[in-house]
Amino acid sequence: MKRLRHTFGLAVTGMFLFVGVAAAASLGLTTGKLGAGSAAVSGCTASLTATRNVNSSGNVTQVDVLSVPQACASETLAVTLENSSHVSLGTASTTVGTCTGGCTVTVTGFGTVSATNLTAYAFSLTQ
Amino acid sequence: MRRFRITPLRLATAIVISSGVSVGVAYAATLGLGSNKLFAWSQTLTKGTCNQTSTTGDDTYVQQLNPTSTAGGTATTLTISPIAATQDYAFIRFNLSGCSIPTTGGADSAVLTVNVRTAGADTISLFPVTSSWSSSTLTWNGVSGLTIGSTATGTFSASSTGTKTVTVTTDVDNAIKAGNLWGWELRATSGTASVAIGAAENGTAANRPSMTLSYEK
Repeated sequence: MKRLRHTFGLAVTGMFLFVGVAAAASLGLTTGKLGAGSAAVSGCTASLTATRNVNSSGNVTQVDVLSVPQACASETLAVTLENSSHVSLGTASTTVGTCTGGCTVTVTGFGTVSATNLTAYAFSLTQ
Repeated sequence: MRRFRITPLRLATAIVISSGVSVGVAYAATLGLGSNKLFAWSQTLTKGTCNQTSTTGDDTYVQQLNPTSTAGGTATTLTISPIAATQDYAFIRFNLSGCSIPTTGGADSAVLTVNVRTAGADTISLFPVTSSWSSSTLTWNGVSGLTIGSTATGTFSASSTGTKTVTVTTDVDNAIKAGNLWGWELRATSGTASVAIGAAENGTAANRPSMTLSYEK
């Protein structure tokens, strides 16, 4: 019984030790994942720019995000229209398709947003 | 008291138990990262105005009765007529190159103003022109070679003299993206009178076509 207790005690001690290792491993994995992500991100990173179309009322009908790298294919591209205070006026997203070279990705569905109030685009790409 | 000793068996047992726990912890951490945001970026737009006057404007009118005439290019008024066999169409455009708006920019708001000098009970419709023309060469016969939209951008009534405005934001936005604004054909789509609007050559500045333009780039 005493031996069992000691073994258990050692196991608990070891567990703490490995939790620490696991945390480090997790950090390592995290870094590794980010590193791997960075590799993906670097292929998917660009100074994205966009242009928007308006209807006769001057409201945004669609946003075309230009030269999206092919490495971003199948990821979700979200675009937020912001005013001068960087408050969201509307957000919409779509999945980046496959294409040769840089893609022009069209995003629609922002609701009624006056182009006059639009002063910035915020982009995000998620898996 | 018996002293506890670490034997190879005990150490191996401890490693097996604890590694199972820690692998679970590490896996959960990785999963959490997997759904994180990969990339974020922003683009700030520059706003401006670039109002257009006769300085950057060009206009003419073409005459069915004189199908090779370019006289409309120097006229002080632009005639618009729906009368059969003597129809007249007016054309107005502005050169936006001085605005330095890139093709990735766009119009936030654009409003065309014309001044009716000779009134008549006509509805004047504006049709977007997307191919090049010049007031010095455009004739009635040349109109068939232009690319002109079939849907009117807007209309105004010419039943009274004075300024009339038409919102042309979409056309100007499209033109900025295309790199050139080739303006509009003005045609009477109802009525039977011959009317006239001030041209860029008009002696009174207020009578000339103009356009307010707010843009982003």
